[in-house]
Amino acid sequence: MSEEKPAEEAEAADREAVDRETADIVLDAELDAPPEKVWRAISRPEFREQWLPGRDLRDAEPVSSEAEAEISYRMKDDAPPFLESIVTFRIAPHGDGGTHLRILHVLADERVTPQPLKAANSNRPLRMEAMLRAA
Amino acid sequence: MIENEIFRALADPTRRRIFEKLAVGGMNASSLRQGMEISQPAMSQHLSVLRKAGLVREERQGRFVNYEVDPDGLLLIARWLGKYRAYWPARVDALKILLKDMDS
Repeated sequence: MSEEKPAEEAEAADREAVDRETADIVLDAELDAPPEKVWRAISRPEFREQWLPGRDLRDAEPVSSEAEAEISYRMKDDAPPFLESIVTFRIAPHGDGGTHLRILHVLADERVTPQPLKAANSNRPLRMEAMLRAA
Repeated sequence: MIENEIFRALADPTRRRIFEKLAVGGMNASSLRQGMEISQPAMSQHLSVLRKAGLVREERQGRFVNYEVDPDGLLLIARWLGKYRAYWPARVDALKILLKDMDS
């Protein structure tokens, strides 16, 4: 068991590097609740509404979801020019009955990222962070 | 620093109104002035400030200059990032409260 851990850690580090490359905002949180419960909180509209209000989303329906693993919603800024984006909540068991949540938020507005929205997650030409650092 | 320039540009209520009008769709300066008590030179001045902040761009169409929100502007993106960087920690806090409430 113990020799598997470095491989797992390397995999997690790789995944994090990919996430930081593809998403504009990455935020990790440790939650003191089991994954199945966190899943209900992020996927069922009546729970989701209590911490992520529908007015911040473009569609209350998720763009995609994989039970107890990850779910994505399309969002729309409430201020001009109302930029659209996609947020993904990815969950995994963590520690003793807890959950690790990773929030991945990608600006996916056709006016800024002119490729089809579906491709925004995997293949985006715009490296905003790098551009901002260079500015 | 770049955020400051945007903040200054939008701190003025008239400019904020101009920006909001343009966010709905591009138009020329005289259409922009409709419904606003503002002289042509003052409008030009405001548009110039918005343009320098990277919020608005102009496009010549025949005799007219059309103004529109500049969605490619780095500044716009900086604003978006700034907003949601503050937004998500607050949402996570709300999620934690919800998870506690779901127990009872």
